[in-house]
Amino acid sequence: MAGKEFRRRIHRALNNASLRGALERFADAYIISREQVYAGRDFAALRERIAAIKAGAAGRYEELAEQFTRAVEARGGKVFRAKDAAAAREYIYRVAKEHGITDIVKSKSFASEEIHLNEFLQEHGITPHETDLAEWILQLMPGERPSHMVMPAIHLPKEEVARVFSRYLGEPVEPDIKNMVRIARRELRKKFLTAGMGISGANIAVAETGTIVICTNEGNARLATTVPPVHVAIVGYEKLVPELKDIVPILEALPRSGTGQPITSYVTMITGPVPAWLGEGEGIKELHVILLDNGRTRMAADPVFKEALQCIRCASCTNVCPVFQLVSGQVYGHIYSGGIGSILTAFFNSLEDAADPQSLCIGCRRCAEVCPAKINIPDLVLKLRERVVEKQGLSGGYRIALRGVVAKPELMHTLLRAASRLQGPVTCGRPFIRHLPLFFSSFTAGRSLPAIAGKPLRDRVKDLERPLSWPRLRAAFYSGCVIDFVYPEIGEAVYKVLGREGVQVTFPRGQACCGAPAIYAGDRETAVKLARQNIAALEGAGAEVIVTACPTCAVALKKDFPGLLAGDPAWEGRARAIAAKVKDFTELVYELTGGRQESPGSPAGNGEKQHPGELIPAGKQTVKVTYHDSCHFKRHLGLDRVAREVLKGRQGIELVEMRESDRCCGFGGSYSIKYPEISRPILERKLKNIMDSGAKLVAADCPGCVLQLRGGLDQLGSDVEVKHTAEILAASEE
Amino acid sequence: MAQDDLISFFTRQAEAMGAQVIPVDGVRDIGPQLVEVLKSYGRKVALVDSPVAREAGLEAALAAAGFHIEKDGAGFARQVDTGIVEFDYGIAETGTLAMDATGLKERLAAMLPLTCVALLRAGRIRANLSGVIDAYLERGNWPGYFTLVTGPSRTADIERSLTIGVHGPERLLIILVKDNGGDRLGR
Ligand code: SF4
Ligand code: SF4
Repeated sequence: MAGKEFRRRIHRALNNASLRGALERFADAYIISREQVYAGRDFAALRERIAAIKAGAAGRYEELAEQFTRAVEARGGKVFRAKDAAAAREYIYRVAKEHGITDIVKSKSFASEEIHLNEFLQEHGITPHETDLAEWILQLMPGERPSHMVMPAIHLPKEEVARVFSRYLGEPVEPDIKNMVRIARRELRKKFLTAGMGISGANIAVAETGTIVICTNEGNARLATTVPPVHVAIVGYEKLVPELKDIVPILEALPRSGTGQPITSYVTMITGPVPAWLGEGEGIKELHVILLDNGRTRMAADPVFKEALQCIRCASCTNVCPVFQLVSGQVYGHIYSGGIGSILTAFFNSLEDAADPQSLCIGCRRCAEVCPAKINIPDLVLKLRERVVEKQGLSGGYRIALRGVVAKPELMHTLLRAASRLQGPVTCGRPFIRHLPLFFSSFTAGRSLPAIAGKPLRDRVKDLERPLSWPRLRAAFYSGCVIDFVYPEIGEAVYKVLGREGVQVTFPRGQACCGAPAIYAGDRETAVKLARQNIAALEGAGAEVIVTACPTCAVALKKDFPGLLAGDPAWEGRARAIAAKVKDFTELVYELTGGRQESPGSPAGNGEKQHPGELIPAGKQTVKVTYHDSCHFKRHLGLDRVAREVLKGRQGIELVEMRESDRCCGFGGSYSIKYPEISRPILERKLKNIMDSGAKLVAADCPGCVLQLRGGLDQLGSDVEVKHTAEILAASEE
Repeated sequence: MAQDDLISFFTRQAEAMGAQVIPVDGVRDIGPQLVEVLKSYGRKVALVDSPVAREAGLEAALAAAGFHIEKDGAGFARQVDTGIVEFDYGIAETGTLAMDATGLKERLAAMLPLTCVALLRAGRIRANLSGVIDAYLERGNWPGYFTLVTGPSRTADIERSLTIGVHGPERLLIILVKDNGGDRLGR
């Protein structure tokens, strides 16, 4: 469970209207400008190149650091390898003291924030001046946290900035942005011209030449590295790349992914000490490069988390993150925010510090789509969660639910049947109830939850399994818990549609929960146990394909089982064999009917085949359907287009796209129970997009999304229906 | 791409990024152009010596028009209105200027004043960054301070409102010197 202070921060952020408004407006604009600035470019190839360069470098930091050091020293600069934050701070302090420096100008540097340099310098009687406008504003507001990695003051309205400036100058300042920027220029120029040292970070460090590369728009890094007689650059090992030419793809991606710009106003590349004005005349300035470890080499040695060192700190993962957009960097804390931030925090700070931030990830995978360094952020977050659980154990509620119930299918099924009987009076004859032991949780999610079905799918299959004499294909249906116990009618629809295509479907009785709730809670132990049980059950079915209608289950079977059992000689091969047979229902339908899809242009309603029931009116009328892209369905299985093709091919359906069709609905399994305050606004945005689309029916390929969307629309009192694609197909072909 | 195409591409991109591109047919035209353009921006100019500045006789031209010219000294470029610097290359793809700015004066003149005049030979425009990096590498000595400049200094730190001229110049004027006179380029 998240700590109290962390909860408080979430609460404060969610209730800060100007923060939320600013982040939302930015994120909306960002998506458009990012798209424009990458237009006509091969983003996939670009990120491959960056990932290869950075991953290659992460495998040989020691060698690159030595090469870099030699190159800088050959030009007369100094390189200091700092093991940790304290060593870096001490070094900088020593250099400052040697020169009797009292004032330092700083350009933006994550590394300097990471080592808490400002506080340290102040305690030692040295005044650091942040010169990046946003950083300076925040520096003038003690206690204020940065809200975004690239735009740390994005949450502050201009009136607030004007108040801060008024206080600083001791005179009234109008909230006029142009004028306030002028004031910043004037005030900070004085600092640039008098400071004894300039401190910068670096975006890239080139081993071959000993070059550090710094990108800014304001031009503060140029001044900080030109005017003062001493320059100290703090550079994390992960900034190292082998050759000069390696900077080209990084410079192509960084500004584009960061702010949607083709290039920043200034790119500065410093190689060794350069001339500076030294009191009496021109001389050569002193250059110190601090190569900062602080957990990085430990990370590089970690086979799993090494990948996170590919990060180029563009923050695009946070810009598209539906959770970050609500809570901002102020909630994540610890300098680096978002999913990637929690991973970096685990190494640069501690696993404990990362425990709460990592738990915010709902696993929608949008970040992984846009990351220019091709980092699989959500998978790394899950791995991190596993480690948190290994170290801290599962929290009480999770332990009882997962180890005590989900891991014991017999017990779970008994409890679910009991729950279905007990809930009778609560449902009031409606298919929704407001309080239900779903996932055995006593939390109310403030959203209508479905009733547990009176008769689960596993008890209905006897009537559904009709032997075909010449089946085209033998399929085992893996239903997953939601279809089995909440929406058995989706399962019935699967049987019906596949039966019509000549597929013999069976339901392996030994199947249990796919383990996703355990996987997403970091409970590897339970996940492994369930993987084995399911593999054994599915092998027994002797089917050619294993059909799923839940993408979360599909991902568990296809990807997680082989991962969980890798290295287990008795199970690894079996897991892979099962994984290879898994196919999503809609994908299978697409393949089976590929050749004879009804064309959407053909005249509808010429009788016979059309009795689509309440869903799709017979006759010439068509119903407007909008498609919701489930996160796992689109981003793991990549079936978003296939589903649309299948639906478009049906008579009586007019497919209309909603805005942001592939934005998460906020379900995320137990996430909606753990963080209802975050899940709800994500859902609200989705519902608004659905309503705006004008559709009467929402199609989705994930029963979890169906549950979430139905619950949300029910609360709104909307008559828009939500159906699984299987249900729509079953109805449209009767 | 032919050099003419690169020039027009560069011009378009540089202007899209907020620079002002002023093409001149030859070095001799620079002086009169600058006198005309700069007079509304103030009369104090920091001038960095360079081949184009010399060929153009800029110092004399500006002095004759009443500009006060600074060429070095302790407070170089700190109090002037405009800095004039020659850049080595242009990058068409992004409308960027590139310079070996190891010399202190080059840097100060391009950073401190509110207006920066960049002199650039049109023949020095390359298609992309790789081309420019190669050109320096071929030279054999990678610059101590290499700088890429694209448009004016900008910030969007307050309410994401784009504002120019925060720490560097708020005005970037690129004097694009076409080497072979006017005829071929149709001006
Ligand atoms: S997977 Fe989704 S919720 Fe998690 S960090 Fe990425 S974008 Fe955010
Ligand atoms: S993880 Fe990827 S998207 Fe996120 S900041 Fe790093 S490079 Fe950018």
